[in-house]
Amino acid sequence: MDSIRGKAAIVGIGEVPTGHYPERPFIKAAVDVCEMAIKDSGLAKEDIDTVIPIGVVSNALDGANMVCCWIVEEMGMGKTAKSNFQIMSGGSSSANSLKTAAALVTSGLSKAVLVVHCDRMGTGLDLQAALATFSVVSVNQEYEVPYGFSQLALSGLLQQRYMHDTGTTERQIASVVASLRKWAALNPNAMLQKPKTVEDILDSKIICHPVRKKMMNILADGAAAYIVTTAERAKAVTDTPAYILGLGSRCTNFTVTGQPQDFFKAWNPAAREAYEMAGITPKDIDVAEIYDAFPSFLLQSMDYLELCKPGEAGKLFEDGVTSPGGELPVTTNGGMMAQGHTGAGGGIAILVEAARQVMGKAGDRQVPNANIVVETAVGGVGMDFHVGVLGREV
Amino acid sequence: MSEYNKPLPLITEQSKVFYDACKEEKLLYQQCSECGQAIFFPKQLCPNCMSHVLEWQTSRGKGKVYTFTISYDFAPPQFAQALPYVLAIINMDEGFTIMSNIVACDLERLECDMPVEVVFDPVTPEITLPKFKPVNSEQKGGHRG
Repeated sequence: MDSIRGKAAIVGIGEVPTGHYPERPFIKAAVDVCEMAIKDSGLAKEDIDTVIPIGVVSNALDGANMVCCWIVEEMGMGKTAKSNFQIMSGGSSSANSLKTAAALVTSGLSKAVLVVHCDRMGTGLDLQAALATFSVVSVNQEYEVPYGFSQLALSGLLQQRYMHDTGTTERQIASVVASLRKWAALNPNAMLQKPKTVEDILDSKIICHPVRKKMMNILADGAAAYIVTTAERAKAVTDTPAYILGLGSRCTNFTVTGQPQDFFKAWNPAAREAYEMAGITPKDIDVAEIYDAFPSFLLQSMDYLELCKPGEAGKLFEDGVTSPGGELPVTTNGGMMAQGHTGAGGGIAILVEAARQVMGKAGDRQVPNANIVVETAVGGVGMDFHVGVLGREV
Repeated sequence: MSEYNKPLPLITEQSKVFYDACKEEKLLYQQCSECGQAIFFPKQLCPNCMSHVLEWQTSRGKGKVYTFTISYDFAPPQFAQALPYVLAIINMDEGFTIMSNIVACDLERLECDMPVEVVFDPVTPEITLPKFKPVNSEQKGGHRG
């Protein structure tokens, strides 16, 4: 099969600050990021013929309106847009929208695709509603619901087994969060910009043993957008395209109980698939933008992406390899544990950060020579795993 | 006894068979008649070979804790009064996996791979939930997940 390697690129990105913004209307944030992405891309808005809104979690009406061409009307694209449709696969919506956008432009069905995410998980959803939502989604109603499962419990289940299997210490787990906080301190769009030490994190109380309060992600309002076009058009409109070099993915299960043992082993072939398409090995990777949600997601991903010896990801974090100035910068926006968890947008923020690093637009946290950046996404309770490789050159 | 206010399982034609058996202190799972695969959660067709000929089997009720977590806070709202409780994923000896609560166990004793066995908790007159306790432990009256 003819690979799409290097035939499409992200040419524009937009993002507003993530956090609690009760006074910021949903549509304002959504339009702001579309405008930023279009201006960043060098394309005219008339060049964009497909709009892909990502599913909204906090408000069903906002989500429905995005499905019904809200952005097309607000952005004045009504004479030039050909398709507007939602993509929603939770946390992995970034990867599935990127895959779809790349396929649309390389096939010639679209000239350029605008993907936009906006949600108000911080102020549009109260805590009890959020806890209730995350205890029934991706949960089997006949056989799991009675036992008190939730997405937070998921983090406990995963971290427990990961520590058991690998000998990863609590200090190393806390180092994951400390590393993310260091990156977030350099990110003006992050919600939590104050650094935390390993000790601060270990002092926080246990929520879902062995997970502590400061090892949890934080729900936030946020919005981000990106634009994909063909490599040919990218060269004509921008000096800083982020070429799509490799994509790999696997879907594994609906529920956590339905996970093939061991948890998430199927993630490795997704990474291999992406590396093979990109023609790279893990050693070629300059920056790893890893979907976090919880420390264990990050650690398992690092292992399965073969960025370290199996089970040794915790050591990389503890030794500062992943932090600013380290040899392998990881999740340089601070991830969902520090930039904030915006629903399906956590993955979009990570993808946008990967493109930003490749484009050289990451400001104080720019990694020098970020030529090859890998990014990942995970949906549901770990239902799928996606790996993308972006690069400065084809 | 106070009213049970935690969520109850969705009862369908299929899950009714499972929960009716629980009332008789039997833990059922499915086995594919074509390929022999042990199946749980109960399904319409075998996820291995797509056969529709699935038979209910009775588990011996023993397995090992694959992983667990102890919830102390931020639990689903209906569990807020039940903290702390232990949620676990258990690999059963027959080759299927089940989620449940571990009960009658000192929290310090919990560990991955510990052997457990099923106990039946009649939470309402209609619904009995299978839960698990460590093998070789007496079930204490007080602690219920």
